[in-house]
Amino acid sequence: MIVTRPLVSVVDDDESVRESLPDLLMALGFAAQAFSSAEEFLASDCVEQTSCLILDIGMPGMTGPDLQRELQRRRQEIPIVFITGRQDQAVRPRLLAQGAVACLFKPFGETALLDSVRAALRVR
Amino acid sequence: VAESAEARSDVRLDGSIPAGAAPLESILCTEDLHRRPTRLPDYEKENRALVKLVSALADSPSTIFQTLAETILDITQCDSAGLSLLTIDGMTPDVRGQRFYWPAIAGMWNPHVGGGTPRNFGPCGDVLDQNRTLLFTHFERRYPYLQPVIPAAEECLLVPFHVAGEAVGTIWAITHTDRRKFDAEDDRVMASLGKFASSAYQALMHIERLKIQVSEREKAEAEVRELARGLEAKIRRLVEANVVGIVLWNLEGAITGANDAFLLMLQYDRADLASGRLRWTDLTPAEWRDHDERAVADLKATGILQPFEKEYFRKDGSRVAVLLGGALFEGSGSEGVAFVIDLSDQKRAERALRRSEAFLAEGQRLSQIGSFSWRVATDEITWSEQLYRIYELEIGVPVTLEVIRTRVHPEDIALFERMVEQARSGGSDFEWQYRLIMPDRSIKYLHAVAHAIRDQDGQLEYIAAVQDVTTRRQSEQALDNARAEIAHVAKVMSLGTLAAAIAHEVNQPLQGILTNASTCLRMLDADPANVDGARQTARRTIRDGNRASDVITRLRALFARQGGTTESVDLNEVTRELIALSTSQLQRNRVIVRPELADGLPPVRGDRVQLQQVILNLLLNASDAMCGIEDRPRRLVVRTEVDGDDRVRLSVQDAGVGVDPQSLERIFDAFYTTKSGGMGIGLSVSRSIIESHHGRLWAVPNDGPGATFSFCIPRGPEGMTSARGIGAVPTPAVTDAAHVVRDP
Repeated sequence: MIVTRPLVSVVDDDESVRESLPDLLMALGFAAQAFSSAEEFLASDCVEQTSCLILDIGMPGMTGPDLQRELQRRRQEIPIVFITGRQDQAVRPRLLAQGAVACLFKPFGETALLDSVRAALRVR
Repeated sequence: VAESAEARSDVRLDGSIPAGAAPLESILCTEDLHRRPTRLPDYEKENRALVKLVSALADSPSTIFQTLAETILDITQCDSAGLSLLTIDGMTPDVRGQRFYWPAIAGMWNPHVGGGTPRNFGPCGDVLDQNRTLLFTHFERRYPYLQPVIPAAEECLLVPFHVAGEAVGTIWAITHTDRRKFDAEDDRVMASLGKFASSAYQALMHIERLKIQVSEREKAEAEVRELARGLEAKIRRLVEANVVGIVLWNLEGAITGANDAFLLMLQYDRADLASGRLRWTDLTPAEWRDHDERAVADLKATGILQPFEKEYFRKDGSRVAVLLGGALFEGSGSEGVAFVIDLSDQKRAERALRRSEAFLAEGQRLSQIGSFSWRVATDEITWSEQLYRIYELEIGVPVTLEVIRTRVHPEDIALFERMVEQARSGGSDFEWQYRLIMPDRSIKYLHAVAHAIRDQDGQLEYIAAVQDVTTRRQSEQALDNARAEIAHVAKVMSLGTLAAAIAHEVNQPLQGILTNASTCLRMLDADPANVDGARQTARRTIRDGNRASDVITRLRALFARQGGTTESVDLNEVTRELIALSTSQLQRNRVIVRPELADGLPPVRGDRVQLQQVILNLLLNASDAMCGIEDRPRRLVVRTEVDGDDRVRLSVQDAGVGVDPQSLERIFDAFYTTKSGGMGIGLSVSRSIIESHHGRLWAVPNDGPGATFSFCIPRGPEGMTSARGIGAVPTPAVTDAAHVVRDP
């Protein structure tokens, strides 16, 4: 039997994240896809299939929150786990209030990642 | 009293009648004249005598009296005849005289010419008193002074003569024997001769007056001629000196003569003048003709051409401004002389002066700079209009120190008084900053620079420029406030930003490391183990580890100073840069910086940035030390000089609170401070920088207020030229951080 793995999409301008995170997600049993920018993600055919979006906050061009608003506007409400390299504690409650599932500060560990993704999938 | 020529000076003329002298009646026998038998008149002889007299009068007036005496002698056939004339000085006829003198005598008494008798005690006086002809016999019986006059007079017939109603003397005839007696005919002849004498005297006086007049006139004419000769020489000198133009002209418009100065002024030459074509009417531009006509009208009325300014055409048609004045020659009616002075230079100077005054006024208005002069001895103060505007006083009101004082800010009054005191006693240039308080309570900041001069009498005078620097001060203050705010924000921000930037840069590879390590473990734990995948993620872990390491290296490189940069440094240049950089800080503290930088200062070898920090520290310390000083100018002197053969010295002298001699060394301790706040790196660091440059940094108290901080360091090797440093100037961290920080 073919078990359909939920697709977790990773959007981050940092290459090492794009390289490492999808491999880990796949090792954890998810399907994973990486995008270097919000625009690239929106232009892809993965938007519909994505069950969880791991989204970097600070990116050149469209930022993480910009993409969140765009998706809400399109009524494609994908559960979002924000990740950021800046440890600004003030940003987390704001993002959570706007509907994010979680907000992880880099560097985060495997457990935090898995908990957040699972929570996202439960929302779905 | 004898009045002979010999005895005249020995006798008193106005002596009283001596005791025992015969009474007047006893010596008079006038009535006998008409009792005696009378001779027949000899009219022919008488006429001849009178004609002779008249011709004598005409030919030789000086001998007329002698001729008259001889005529009497001749006609009366007496023994002596003569005249007595009143005199003051014994010589000159004068009706006011108190003595008679004898100008002429004919006959036996001739040797007595020049003698005489007193007015009020003698026969002549008796005649004038009774105003009639008297006949005396032996008058020496009453008038003993006549006794020595020999031969004695038997009879003397005296006739008065008057001129214009005034008695001037007598004529007389004397017999010395009784050979003949005077009779009625003698009386008639003498009366006739008396009348003649009167006319003759009058004629003679007239002639004398004429003579005097003639001689006086001749003398005057001679003087005039002499004067004219001198004057002519002087005038010729004036004309030929060509200092001013001299021109001869007539009212018809002709110029009949001129000196070279005049011709040169109008570019004409002698030939033009000689041709007679040169006319002042043609030389005068049309708009000056009315003026000329009025001047000519005045000239005709008064003979004088009052000096006035006008213009003439030059030969080339250009105009020349002149001052003209002159006069008509007396008696000529239409000819005159004038002087003409070329005013071109004065006009040019006036124009230049007006222009420069206008420039100055406009310049002062634009630059907000006023100026004044102050004569210290008299307290005479003159302000430019702009200064009145700065002080908001009505232009032209008399300026006194008292008036100025009413505007000076109360906190600056003490400073102001001190400046005035110093200026009075000093005599050197000075400079100060002070505040004014206006009637509307607004405050103006002024900066004044005064230059001392001595006038021709050696009196002290200051010429000063005063600039209203209020706007500049206000904008500086606003700018400073903004800058301080930004600096503060930047300072607070920069640490957080820096930390975030470092965190961000390091967190990215750390994330990769963590993720890859987890993946690697997962792959190895899988059944079967994904060894290839694990190997690949382990490699990526190493790569991310290196990446994190690179970030740290880059950050270290960014903030680490490239120490030990040694270059050639021109301390003058560094000082000038620093003064410029810290100008606003210094001016906010009302510090007057006076750089005294030695010419040709040899460069030193060292770390430019470190030396900059030391000098900046000294400047700011000095400024801070003068912060509370109100009773004297906050003067800061930065001096560079060669110190000995091989060192260069820089000193910063302030007029501040000074340094306690006991603290002189302690101030260089690392944690010693007298200030609550401040910039700079501190004296202890400054000293270690200077010592690392093989130099010395020290402080001494000034003779006056304040302290002087100095350092000296070795000069660079010979032939080394100063060059700007390369890459040794650190840029602020906040700016550089922006290059490595990306938005979160």
